Amino acid sequence: MDKKTAILPCNGLDKCAGCVSREIAIKLQEEKNAEIICPVLFRVADARYNKVASENELIVIDGCNTRCATKLASEKNLKVSRKINVTEASKQYGIEIQSKLQIGENEKKLIDMILEDILKKDDSNGENSSILFPKVLDYEIYKKDKFIFRLPKEGFYFNENDVWVYVQGNLARIGVTDYVQQSLSDIMFFTPPIVGSEVEQFDEVGAIESGKAVFEVISPVSGKVIRVNEALLSNPEYINENPFEKGWIAEIELKDFESDKMLLLEFDEYFEKMKRKVDEFHV
Amino acid sequence: MSDIKIGVVSCSGEECFGGTISRLATRKVLEDLRLGEAVTICLPLFIAGGEEERNFAKVYPTVAVDGCSKLCAMRATEKYSGKVNAVVKVDEIIGKEKALEKVVSLRELPSDYMELVDKVAQEICKEMDKISSDILKKQAEEELKNSGECSGGCCCCGCK
Repeated sequence: MDKKTAILPCNGLDKCAGCVSREIAIKLQEEKNAEIICPVLFRVADARYNKVASENELIVIDGCNTRCATKLASEKNLKVSRKINVTEASKQYGIEIQSKLQIGENEKKLIDMILEDILKKDDSNGENSSILFPKVLDYEIYKKDKFIFRLPKEGFYFNENDVWVYVQGNLARIGVTDYVQQSLSDIMFFTPPIVGSEVEQFDEVGAIESGKAVFEVISPVSGKVIRVNEALLSNPEYINENPFEKGWIAEIELKDFESDKMLLLEFDEYFEKMKRKVDEFHV
Repeated sequence: MSDIKIGVVSCSGEECFGGTISRLATRKVLEDLRLGEAVTICLPLFIAGGEEERNFAKVYPTVAVDGCSKLCAMRATEKYSGKVNAVVKVDEIIGKEKALEKVVSLRELPSDYMELVDKVAQEICKEMDKISSDILKKQAEEELKNSGECSGGCCCCGCK
């Protein structure tokens, strides 16, 4: 079967967001010759859609934060290439949708904007699709004698292996935290992960090496590696300069961030943990 | 308007045009023809395990509106919440061929869609009215029974 697109919309009928998700699905069907998966029929008789859903690029469209479509994809173990949440998109674009089920002017505008976003990303053929990383980060700093580490306050998640992830939509950027680069001191080599490779959460996704040790980068998320920071090959010291910005490691197309998130730490938790670690080991 | 609430479980229809008509007819009933009497049940959520939807369908009477002969709405309701009170089969109302046409955007509906939506909506209302009337009749009979009065007609039993 040729790789084309399958769409799994929420399709709900009790909220306008469900009606918007259905409209987006139908428009995508026309624009991309995609196949729509009926979520109801998929649940009651999955044989109809198993092949379509597993062999094609799958776009999941949730109407509201109950995320029925995402949960369905997860239950069926499907690899999702892109997720859209109409309620979140309406906030993101600043377009309020009504509680009634009609597709009014605002809803049409939202549908067009979401479609434009999807199709624009397609035009770039994945090569240039990149997350919009914040230009300026706000850091919290902790000092303990000579040891100083900083941590961005918002938008980042961390795993227990001191790797951060910044998520935007279905894409994520990962890197090591300041604690790692401080502990390793001067980083001399960077071994990147293979672009196109599939990684599971906690798989190794590259390595960095200093005079002291080799640090395996443990992926905080599962998905496909779509880009690596090639600048690090010739300038691994970027990680020492700023591991959250120019020292990022790779970008990953997410598989199921909702599940991954359960095993990640947010700022407060990770910062406290690191403070304790620094207090205990760097005296 | 009666104060009886009836759940309308509509096909979510991505397989065929009958699904689109089911959605639109259900909406017409909810928002216009039986405002306040009909409560929609989100079928994808219902099947995914939505407790509120399932409990509602267990307690209140339901009408399933199905776009095609697969009868997903009816089957799912009966699987998770019990027997439906009525089924509106869209393909029997608008014709099998029409019902199986490909799904279309709400922005580009064919010219005759309103007529089809009306037909199906009327059928949903008819079933809802029948359910309401059965419930009211049953309630009246219960009341009469509880008050010890005869249910009507000429009677020689000596009741009041």
